[in-house]
Amino acid sequence: MSEVSRRQFLMGSGGLLGFLGIDLTPAVSFTESRADRITRGRQTTTICPYCGCGCSAIVTSEQRDGRWVAINVEGDADHPINEGTLCAKGASLYQMCNNENRLKKVLHRKPGSDRFEEVDWATAAQRIARLIKDTRDASFTERNAKDQVVNRTTAIASLGSAALDNEECWLYQKFVRGLGLVYIEHQARLCHSSTVPSLAATYGRGAMTNHWIDLKNSDVILAMGSNPGANHPISMHWVMKAKENGAKLVCVDPRFTRTACVADVYAPLRSGTDIAFLGGMIKYILDKDLIQRDYVLNYTNASFIVSDDYSFDEASGLFNAYDPEKRKYDKSKWTYKLAEGTPTEPQRDMTLQDPRCVYQLLKKHYARYDMETVSKVTGTPVADLERVYETYASTHRPDRAGTIMYAMGWTQHTVGVQNIRAMAVIQLLLGNIGVAGGGVNAMRGESNVQGSTDHGLLFHILPGYLKTPAASLPALENYNKTNTPATLGASSVNWWGNTPKYMTSFLKSMFGDNATPENDFGYAWLPKVDDGVNYSWLQIFDKIHEGEIRGMFAWGMNPACSGANSNKTRQALAKLDWLVNVNIFPNETGWFWEDASLGIPPSNIKTEVFVLPAAASIEKQGSITNSGRWMQWRYKGADAPGDARPDGDIMNLIFAELRKLYASEGGQCPEPILNLRWDEYLHDGEIDAEAIAKDINGQFLADVTLADGKSYKKGELVPSFAMLQADGTTSSGCWIYAGSFTQDGQNKSKKRVRETSGIGLHPDWAWSWPVNRRILYNRASVDVNGVPYNPRVPVIAWDADAGKWTGDVVDAPATIPPMAQAGGKLPFIMNEEGVGRLWTMKLEDGPFPEHYEPFESPIDNNPFNGQPFNPACKVFKGPMDKRAEPGGAEFPIVASTYRLTEHWQTGVMTRNCPWLLELQPQMFVEMSETLAEEKGIRAGDVVEVKSARGTVLAVAIPTKRFKPMTIMGKTVHTVGMPWCFGWKTPNSGDSANLLTPNIGDANTMIPETKTFLVNIEKAHGKTLRTVPELSATRRA
Amino acid sequence: MSLAVLVDTTKCIGCRSCQVSCKQWNGLPAERTHIEGRDTGYQNPLSLSSHTYTMVSFREIAEPTAPGGFKRVFAKRQCMHCEEPSCVSACPVTALRKTAEGPVIYDSNKCMGCRYCVWACPFGVPTADWDSLTPVIRKCTMCFDRITGHMEIADLNGQPVAAEARERYAAGGKTPACVKACTTGALRFGNRDDLLKTAWERVRAMPDRYVQHVYGEHEVGGTSFLYLAAVPFEKAGFRHDLGTHAPPEYSSIALSLVAPAAMGLGALLTAVYMLQQRKIKLAEAPAPAEKE
Repeated sequence: MSEVSRRQFLMGSGGLLGFLGIDLTPAVSFTESRADRITRGRQTTTICPYCGCGCSAIVTSEQRDGRWVAINVEGDADHPINEGTLCAKGASLYQMCNNENRLKKVLHRKPGSDRFEEVDWATAAQRIARLIKDTRDASFTERNAKDQVVNRTTAIASLGSAALDNEECWLYQKFVRGLGLVYIEHQARLCHSSTVPSLAATYGRGAMTNHWIDLKNSDVILAMGSNPGANHPISMHWVMKAKENGAKLVCVDPRFTRTACVADVYAPLRSGTDIAFLGGMIKYILDKDLIQRDYVLNYTNASFIVSDDYSFDEASGLFNAYDPEKRKYDKSKWTYKLAEGTPTEPQRDMTLQDPRCVYQLLKKHYARYDMETVSKVTGTPVADLERVYETYASTHRPDRAGTIMYAMGWTQHTVGVQNIRAMAVIQLLLGNIGVAGGGVNAMRGESNVQGSTDHGLLFHILPGYLKTPAASLPALENYNKTNTPATLGASSVNWWGNTPKYMTSFLKSMFGDNATPENDFGYAWLPKVDDGVNYSWLQIFDKIHEGEIRGMFAWGMNPACSGANSNKTRQALAKLDWLVNVNIFPNETGWFWEDASLGIPPSNIKTEVFVLPAAASIEKQGSITNSGRWMQWRYKGADAPGDARPDGDIMNLIFAELRKLYASEGGQCPEPILNLRWDEYLHDGEIDAEAIAKDINGQFLADVTLADGKSYKKGELVPSFAMLQADGTTSSGCWIYAGSFTQDGQNKSKKRVRETSGIGLHPDWAWSWPVNRRILYNRASVDVNGVPYNPRVPVIAWDADAGKWTGDVVDAPATIPPMAQAGGKLPFIMNEEGVGRLWTMKLEDGPFPEHYEPFESPIDNNPFNGQPFNPACKVFKGPMDKRAEPGGAEFPIVASTYRLTEHWQTGVMTRNCPWLLELQPQMFVEMSETLAEEKGIRAGDVVEVKSARGTVLAVAIPTKRFKPMTIMGKTVHTVGMPWCFGWKTPNSGDSANLLTPNIGDANTMIPETKTFLVNIEKAHGKTLRTVPELSATRRA
Repeated sequence: MSLAVLVDTTKCIGCRSCQVSCKQWNGLPAERTHIEGRDTGYQNPLSLSSHTYTMVSFREIAEPTAPGGFKRVFAKRQCMHCEEPSCVSACPVTALRKTAEGPVIYDSNKCMGCRYCVWACPFGVPTADWDSLTPVIRKCTMCFDRITGHMEIADLNGQPVAAEARERYAAGGKTPACVKACTTGALRFGNRDDLLKTAWERVRAMPDRYVQHVYGEHEVGGTSFLYLAAVPFEKAGFRHDLGTHAPPEYSSIALSLVAPAAMGLGALLTAVYMLQQRKIKLAEAPAPAEKE
């Protein structure tokens, strides 16, 4: 036997394992223990870049050859949310930084080329600026067809990104809006875009109302339209604590998931029938009078009388004022009846008996949703329905709180907004909004998708949820008039009445001193969207095919795998003139031209592609906002590899070149570009995240004295948005973040002080918007006298002696007393009528949720109404926009897509981390054991899953977790697939989005990727293997 | 005082952060895996190895009274850190040893790859590097280096850390990586006796939820990984034929008899030899003379 010395063994195995990107040295150090080595390293905190829980990790770095290298990443034991724990993805963060596959060089693919070439940053930035300018100048539109000033280009689109820090998100929206783009979209469109209007239409704000730790205060937790056990694992840390205190976990899902495993009650339901299910719950609650009466009477519009126009026809399933040609409702025909006199007050019936009051209309609408009918549609046994309804409705008692944890299972449907609305209504009926352990917990799936949405990276909103200006509004005063709601009722605060202050302050933050009263604060320089036109994700890919969009940024996004109908997306990429792909790993988008399944040889693909290597989250500093609205600072731990740079610096490089070109050459409408406030964020030529954070917070631009007598000096940071002005004396990049950076130099997102007593709010840990309020609508957690409904877990309380509120930051100006007192106000301050809306006039598809079948349905006889699917959603009619026949034989199986704990989104990051790919190596399809037997499919067989739009190969996993269902007397099977795979990872399979339909919700156009029709067959002779392996099971 | 880990499988959601945290702490490489699709579900890798010290098994067990009609059981498997380990007993070079603190650790420098421990372990834990020229046996060490180490975080983000936070960090540093990372608190680390007490309290308080048994309390003489489950343990993949005696007890009986047996055999053979010699001697002796 040959002698192998210790050193030789180490070097040998080090080399063998090196290609996996694992550095053995930390584990096999003979001179000091790992614990000691970590102790003497540099410790920084970061927030995990994966889901929206906002878990903190400690990164230990040390210097090696002049670079900081991360040697250990583990959970932050001091952090109140994760308390030292991390899920599999968070636990793998070491591999995100120490990874051979990381992009280290700027890559350039010339049109028609079959390879990338490495170039330097300067060359790339110059060329990209040239491409942008040429495309922009060639397409710039000063006036649209209606002769309205629009100052925009529709030839460039931007996709991205929830992966950016808040400061970078905000800088990026400034960059793309400065260029005049209107096609501005990112991950939020695809995941929770339906949440925002749904919750805003009900409560006034579109975000998760409570926060992660608060889950422990719940008595009943409903996990429906979500799988937190898999996709927000740290939330289960708090769900378990609630269970230890006697709470019940109720899980409703087409599939028995990792959440169902620890649930007390599980009920199956057919994907796409949540409104039927919840409608049944509403009927149950109203029939048994299980409402929190005090709450419903005082804090909701249950007693409001609706005007005579409003009606609903049960046979057709249509509300009044529907235009079948346009597939649109006229929302102005849904109004309250107003009482005589001033100030304007709605008419009310506090006995809730008037047949035209909201309460009675609600009752009438859901009278059809009896449990037998619901069961026929959802496939849920009646006994299970009753068990769920009974358990959840028990939270109507003031001393019991129920909460809902939901995510894509509700949002990604043509009725996505209404799915969420149904629950939002239930929560108001049960008195669960504003209370501890209650709320609507919209679980965002990206570490900073909350922040990226807050900072306006969607076509229809500016930072702070201001609306993007419509072309029909030529001046700022028109904008303010149309977009500022009038207060309805003397008891309503109507906070959006302050819109002009936020809009002017925003414009000042965009253009700095160049925005003056004389030039309408630069309002004309903002690109305008045409009235009623949609510029969202699904439109973008349509427009690329039509030839309107010529250039695109895929900034921290992988559209080749993330958008519905991937074939349509990938074919679109091949039609672009240029594509700029910023990412940390190789991906299916930047490399789309290599994809054999496109059926186009690279020589015929003219798209010029740049791939720009970015720094990962641990390699730069900035803040991100988790799902619970906590803004948390991340510090730089390791250095980025090779030429990779923070996204903010990449933006700056390109913008600087672009500005040079416009300054020297002139061109179309250079003013917005030349007048953007930008250089103030540079420090030694690099972007300073804190400088941007201060601008986002806002500052006084002149010495001011406010109405309350307080004075502020020019340059001081504003303490809160309450001080913002409409006259140009203040600026604020995003008004809801005002107060996050204080004049005494405190970046509040860096705060790390745990609470010593309380209900888990931790007010001195990080900072939450708005104004560090932790539970929204908390004035609904007390009765009209300011006494908490649930004294066991009070959120706020009125201290009569001191004459002020105690507890959480109260949701209203703090000086306002309880409602029963003079000057008291209603708790839903963002709604113009001050109350939560059981009936809402704000949504495109109706004031009440109604069950419509999905776009692709296994049945064609919906018992609730005669509509084939949501009558208000837009249908694309192009050659690639195919639909399966409802109840048809070609595609009879219902399919759903979902996520896995071990992978994240399209898998670009996680498929490149060996520890995660090891856990989930391949695309699979789960099906019931019955279906597998019918089709002769055994476990481990490769099957072909086919839809009207595409095909994907997957390994079959027959399981007890799916069962056949009986729907309207018919047996319906469901299969499910993860969508985290992509062809760039060898032997793993491709994206499930090759199957999904590009049809969106009526309000937000979020694609319906959660329910569609497929068929499956054994794939004879086919394999997922794309490159030969020595052995499929051999260890590397 | 012996340290142990309590694994409450009823709280496990199969997130596998324990698997990844273990790989991160120990610097272990990933294995090349694929989906089997059988009732192993998402389980990967399928077994322990010298590169995978812990793995979570996935099982679906029919149970008509449970929500959904079956129970899905996730069980984290790794070295059981027996009270009287068979591997320690079998190892000819004392590469494996049971520490006073509780974990069974090994010195890979001493390991000569004979694989006696692979045969000896009743749980099939140690596995060899079959493809390597220099095969080593490796396994979970209950993060012995963490629990006896002194990992400290005194400065964080350039600021000194407050006393309370320092304590939390130090406590986390002394916890096995898997336990620290566990999202739902299914894993608990502490003194074995205390954990047994907690385990029985839990099990007795919720007889509908738990099988009334703590696996590892007595199996093979007791182990330092203790399990609670909602289904009979054999259905969750745990061996139920192990008895309550540690195998080394039996082998020690055999071993303790070796010397007396050898000596006894030697004595017996010596006696036979002597008797035979005497016989031969007697046979060869001249016939006694005839006496008149």
